[in-house]
Amino acid sequence: MTLLRIDDVYQSYEAEQVLQGVSFDMQQGDVDVLMGPSGSGKSTMLRCINRLTEVDSGDIWLGDTHVTAPETDVNELRQDVGMVFQDFNLFAHLTALENITLGLKRVKGIHAEQAREQARDHLDQVGLGNQTDAYPAELSGGQKQRVGIARALAMEPKLMLFDEPTSALDPELVGDVVSVMEALAAGGMTMLVVSHEMGFARSAADDIHFLDNGQVVESGPPEQLFEQPEQDRTAEFLSGLQADGPQ
Amino acid sequence: MVQTGDWVFVLSNADTLLFGLIVTVVLTLTSLSVGFLLGFPAGAIEVYGDGVLRRVVRVAGGLLRGTPIVVILLVLFFVVSISESAFITATVGLGLRSAAYQAQLFRGALQSVDDGQLEAARATGMGKLQAIRYVVVPQALRRSMPGFQNEFTIVLKDTSIAFAIGLAELLTQGYNLFTQSGRSTAVLEVFLVISAVYFVLTFLTNRGLDRVSDYYAIPSGESR
Repeated sequence: MTLLRIDDVYQSYEAEQVLQGVSFDMQQGDVDVLMGPSGSGKSTMLRCINRLTEVDSGDIWLGDTHVTAPETDVNELRQDVGMVFQDFNLFAHLTALENITLGLKRVKGIHAEQAREQARDHLDQVGLGNQTDAYPAELSGGQKQRVGIARALAMEPKLMLFDEPTSALDPELVGDVVSVMEALAAGGMTMLVVSHEMGFARSAADDIHFLDNGQVVESGPPEQLFEQPEQDRTAEFLSGLQADGPQ
Repeated sequence: MVQTGDWVFVLSNADTLLFGLIVTVVLTLTSLSVGFLLGFPAGAIEVYGDGVLRRVVRVAGGLLRGTPIVVILLVLFFVVSISESAFITATVGLGLRSAAYQAQLFRGALQSVDDGQLEAARATGMGKLQAIRYVVVPQALRRSMPGFQNEFTIVLKDTSIAFAIGLAELLTQGYNLFTQSGRSTAVLEVFLVISAVYFVLTFLTNRGLDRVSDYYAIPSGESR
């Protein structure tokens, strides 16, 4: 079943064309990775899917929901689309547990005690069952990002978006976050990930979409893209990545 | 010159000063409340609002901040005569002026909260107002505490300007003591006592608000 359909999406910011006709589909349970140089439109593409950014033209469908239709209720849509941010964006004044319960209570209307129980389960799932009462500033970057993942998962989304989830982390903390994401992928979650984490792409991705200048230059499974890219632009970018190591 | 007789005079009229003290404290609280109830939404409108409403808030704030408080009080009492009660007039005048300053305080605090906080809240499906209320405002209020402490002490001391419209607050009550016939020698003692009272009030208020700040501070720990 096609869960996500991106169809000829254009987006511009002021005079700059950010997305110039992006199209791709994802099946339910797929894990796709968006790669490409900075400024290629990867993050903007993600943000169009939960309408933190509005498209200029083109259509996005999430299952039966016409995401880009003006009459679509964005607050309802966003409950189906979890998002994990590069800078975590944990609510600074709330504990790890409260970061998760806030949405459960205020958006889903779940009773406080039950929300706490669900939040604890999700913190357990990301290996932070012992940090429920810690405030974001008391957590390491890797722990913060795992709380961020748990916060998004708790809303029981159909699709998870990851916007460079490991880019702000110290190298030794990347592994924890990647393992959580791999476990999530193995569990059947549909995930669209902006990342240059080659290890994750190899182990978990079904398809990689290589973006440049707001267009999908090339798409394919990791082994194909990494070993035998068809486009010179892809090969050039990926060899740069491999030379620098994972970013 | 300090004279024992004048100290006795001041102390024997402690009830007059105590009445003034009570008026000062109550006026401080009512003015700050008016200031908060108008200033907080005004600050939010300056950050999140648009169109006419925001323009009105900006112009009103600019006018109030640009007018000496004694002029505001005199105009409200003698020109516009909003009320026969000097207390109500003083509450409105000090309250409006404080609202204009508190609006700036909250505007700065709201703007200082990273946009990512609002975005993350919206991304979980909260509406804009919900996200502002549950995520941005709690952080902004904490950050506005140092400025609010300032504002509190400024309003506390500026209640003495209600002297200009004859309100029986602490300064007026003191003034009334040494202007009684034959008591002009007590002027120094009266001002010393009044100043000490203002100082103690300001000091205690600041310590109290420090406590509140510490209690609500977001634990930061040592980032590991």
